[in-house]
Amino acid sequence: MAKVFLIDVALCTGCDNCQLACKDEHVGNDWSPIAKPQPEIGQFWIKKNEEVCGTVPKVKVNYMPTLCNHCENPACVAAAKDGAVYQREDGLVIIDPEKAAGQKQIAEACPYGAIYWNEELDIPQKCTGCAHLLDNGYSVPRCVEVCPTDAIRFGEEEDLAEDLLGTEVLKPETGCKPRVHYRNLPGKFIAGTVYDPEEKECLIGAKVRLQIGGKRYSTFTDDFGDFWFKDLAIGKHNIYIDMPGYATYVQKDIFTKECINLGDIPMRKLTAEEMKDKFTTGEKKLEWIP
Amino acid sequence: MDRKVTDVKNGWRTFKTASLMGPHSGPPCSVESDKELGKITRIRPYNYNENQPVSELNPWKIEGRGIKFEPPEVSKISPMYLAYKTRVYSKNRVKYPLKRVDWDPNGERHPENRGKSKYVRISWEEATDIVASELKRMINKYGPETVLIEADMHGEGKHLAPSHGCPNRLMSMLGGYTVQMRNIDSWEGWSWGARNIHGCEPVGEMMPNANLYQDIIDNADACAYWAADAASTAMGFDGLMAMRLAYYMSDVGIKAIYVDPALNFTAATHADKWIPVLPNTDAALQLGMIYVWLTEDLYNKDYVATHCYGYQAFFDYVLGKEDGIPKTPAWASERCGVPEWTIKAFARYWGKHTVSTIIGNGGPTIRGPYCHEPARLQIVMLAMQGLGGPGVHQAKILEFNLFSNQYPLPYQGKAAPEIPHFAEIVRPPNSPDHRYRLWPFQAAIPKVKELCDTQPTPPHQSIPRCLVHNAILNGHVDWWGLHSFCGPKEEQWEHHEYPAPGYPKIHMIWSDSPCNVTCWNDGYSFAKALHTDEIEFFLVQHPWLENDSTMADLILPVATLFELNDIGDDSGSAIYQSVYRQRKSCAPVGESVSDFEVVARIAKKIDHDLYMKYTGNEVSDDELIELFWQASGVNHLDEKDDFHKNDIFVIPTDCETNEKVKPGLREFYEDPVNHPLKTPTGLLEITSTKIAEHFPDDDERPPYPKWIEHGVTHSEGLNSPRAKDYPLLCMSNHGHYRFHAECDDIIWNREFDAMKIRGKDGYQYEAAWLNPKTAAERGIVHGDIVKVFNERGTVLCGAYLTEKLIPGVVYVDHGARFDPIDPECLDRGGAINLITPNNLSSKHATGMVVSGFLTEVAKVTDEEMAEWKQKYPEAFARPIDNACGVCLDTWLIKEEQ
Repeated sequence: MAKVFLIDVALCTGCDNCQLACKDEHVGNDWSPIAKPQPEIGQFWIKKNEEVCGTVPKVKVNYMPTLCNHCENPACVAAAKDGAVYQREDGLVIIDPEKAAGQKQIAEACPYGAIYWNEELDIPQKCTGCAHLLDNGYSVPRCVEVCPTDAIRFGEEEDLAEDLLGTEVLKPETGCKPRVHYRNLPGKFIAGTVYDPEEKECLIGAKVRLQIGGKRYSTFTDDFGDFWFKDLAIGKHNIYIDMPGYATYVQKDIFTKECINLGDIPMRKLTAEEMKDKFTTGEKKLEWIP
Repeated sequence: MDRKVTDVKNGWRTFKTASLMGPHSGPPCSVESDKELGKITRIRPYNYNENQPVSELNPWKIEGRGIKFEPPEVSKISPMYLAYKTRVYSKNRVKYPLKRVDWDPNGERHPENRGKSKYVRISWEEATDIVASELKRMINKYGPETVLIEADMHGEGKHLAPSHGCPNRLMSMLGGYTVQMRNIDSWEGWSWGARNIHGCEPVGEMMPNANLYQDIIDNADACAYWAADAASTAMGFDGLMAMRLAYYMSDVGIKAIYVDPALNFTAATHADKWIPVLPNTDAALQLGMIYVWLTEDLYNKDYVATHCYGYQAFFDYVLGKEDGIPKTPAWASERCGVPEWTIKAFARYWGKHTVSTIIGNGGPTIRGPYCHEPARLQIVMLAMQGLGGPGVHQAKILEFNLFSNQYPLPYQGKAAPEIPHFAEIVRPPNSPDHRYRLWPFQAAIPKVKELCDTQPTPPHQSIPRCLVHNAILNGHVDWWGLHSFCGPKEEQWEHHEYPAPGYPKIHMIWSDSPCNVTCWNDGYSFAKALHTDEIEFFLVQHPWLENDSTMADLILPVATLFELNDIGDDSGSAIYQSVYRQRKSCAPVGESVSDFEVVARIAKKIDHDLYMKYTGNEVSDDELIELFWQASGVNHLDEKDDFHKNDIFVIPTDCETNEKVKPGLREFYEDPVNHPLKTPTGLLEITSTKIAEHFPDDDERPPYPKWIEHGVTHSEGLNSPRAKDYPLLCMSNHGHYRFHAECDDIIWNREFDAMKIRGKDGYQYEAAWLNPKTAAERGIVHGDIVKVFNERGTVLCGAYLTEKLIPGVVYVDHGARFDPIDPECLDRGGAINLITPNNLSSKHATGMVVSGFLTEVAKVTDEEMAEWKQKYPEAFARPIDNACGVCLDTWLIKEEQ
């Protein structure tokens, strides 16, 4: 019997409701013994993170809420003295505000940075899963209740077992075994627009190939001459763009540490002579590297 | 102290709305309050299952491509609702009457110190004495029209004690007043432009708008979201259903093309294609696309021939036959910043597919100089593709209920709720009529008519809100149209002036909507106007000490809706419609009272009979709530008496009737002869017969739409000589984190960098969005304190560097609270409208220009900041709250103990 959170990042609109509902519940309200009041600003028991990827005009924004992972093997419980942090039967990890007074190491122990230090009260604080509400008839915490797109779900691990298949947790290497599961965590993208600089026309239907190690992907440019390769791993990628009548465009070693907008890519038209060569010498020779 | 969870057992639960669309309400939320502490504990969504399973509400649905879209079971309230507690208990609240320390109604008034000098606490007794005696003096000396009432949009959605219009109710009983006429502030382009093509009233959005989304899902390939953001404007009133709709449209595979200088908050997660365009250059992009359609035969010629009037002259203009300049994609690209190949691709895609446009309110396209041109061109584009045909509409992504009884999502019931207002709002001069007058079914109840519809005297003159500063500074203004807010389009051809013949100039301003500096045009001129001795008394009543209030002579404290009894009607949340009783969630903060009571206390000091008349013989809250329920237009549908038993009646959806209504302008599309538009010719007037008749030589709003970059009215384009000194186009939208001037003090929103940037001096500066390239050219890094400036003045901001914005632009939402260093030229709060252009949309179009104007941005150096601190020591000495920013303490002189 353990409660889990399931967050579908693809459904998150970045509306801020989760972050604000949490503050509505905890700022200025004393839910001892589950939690003391959160300070008016500065703590984010659930935080909406924003990542802006790419450059104008190939930009995607990823929103990801993060909160206490209510780990199965919580580092904070291990770091706490006098049992100041405990795991409830339902799996929620709670800091006892009385016992945790002065124990700064509790906040420092969390590998996810989910525990905040309250200077004024001299205590560590974090998400409680709204345990005080669950114990009084609520079925879900405030952040779940207010999500406009049902991007955050909450429930018994067993009940959600099917939905948990294929999800990920953050930093699995910590060994803490988080109980906050994520779906659709985005990878990196490579995107661009393919056009003919002389005609000043997009090239629609150009074949774009992407290669990393032994893996190959391909796509065609759309009605705007755009191509997107999404959810890529971090690594060095090679791109080849083919369009009949044009030299193959090649760009190598595109490093996807960040998302990459290759911009508006001008293709070079083949001359009549080159067109002839294409049949005799093969395409390789006509690759064009700007 | 151990405290148990506050549930309804330990406290009480009320229904409220945090809609800021006053006078309208929004979706209901559940507010839980603590009995022992007497304060609000939490604000939650309302669950529509509470009184019955939602299946009994006859849930609506739209369905397409195998996927259904249905109403959720709880109200989709927005962050502004969830954080409303911070508004009720804001450190920015006016807690008791305040008087400007150096304003002496019996001596020196020091108008030159408005926005500089601080306030002292006075008693209600003293405050009402001052107001009553000033009113009497003014009326005797000048006549009642010397009082300008500023009472329009948007405050909290209250009905018993409306945020706006209580002073009007009293002044009407005192013989009249001058009314500040609200210009069509969120729809300038549609109103002054589009209406002259399609004739759609009242604000120029395409109407009727029934069943649009089902038709789009059935027939459209793509939607062009033209400067439309579901996640911004609607958050302050209707909640987040628009976001769910945006998701659904993506799920069913409608391609989402966003045309916007910024990757806006909806585009951020939904755009399949983002076409960034320089602010206020949309008309060039549109003309370039129309050129492609004309030259490649990519438009509906048959429809144009039968449904449009005066198109040939326009086509000749596009092709260059008129002025020798073909409006080619290359021509367009130079002006709008979109690559030529993208313009062609977009035009061809649209020409070969079925596309609807999606609009919101405000946005960068329709509030700039000459905004009527891009607005008209959008209608021309839709016309060329068969407007009204399957999947070809202009649809709004929010505010589905406004101006219509049949909605684009079919969530309406057999009748729509309409609660009366116990006040008088934006009534046009010399007219028995006004916009928020009673509906016939409301007026049919004698007591409601007696209470709400008996204000004897209309205002005798008006000043458009966008001209108030000029009226004071110049003593005279004249303008075209805008006799009334949302008036008929025929008003466009009428000329008006202030002072109206035989009436006095204004010498007193009484405001319940004090946000001209932060939401209207050329805010610094408003401050300059208040520094003349023309205005002897500036009275403000408002819950929060903000914006124009900080230049008032007297400020009266108003309670928020959460502290009052009321009745609410939700017709816009797009889930279900409802009427709900709103009980008090907590006691009024400090000595605040309702807007209605503020005015009642003043009335009482003037004359007892007047007081009794004003208050409807002291009609009680309970009696009014019952009367307003009887007048709601839906009470007869409440078979189980839910309103009385449960405080809320949710109106079951009327699906069958709704399905029969044809979408949008379908009837005109099918048969223009028998279903003409409300234009002189009954057709889509690409050349407007009325503009041709009244202003044939107007080169700023010619009879058919054109690209207009300069004119006698504006010089705000990148080709203007001014662009040498001010090379950045400033874009300003309806905010994501605020609703116009409201909610700038939500301390939890102020933690987002995209809203406020904490400068190195600790001050939370309003975020000025800049592309990293634009910033780098100026040596600006993320988090720097910067100044945004032009000849009109300087506004300080914090640099927010992002790839969500095109280079060459600075983006600052309007509505940040005024924190004047020098009220006439330098602001620390980031109220960008202080430096917006003074002039109207164009010569004959009485709109305001608040986006798409020239500025420059520079880093504020330590030396410059030090100079300001030396020059304006008092401004910098004002205390600023770490979380809330400007607050009551900023302006208050505290009594010595």
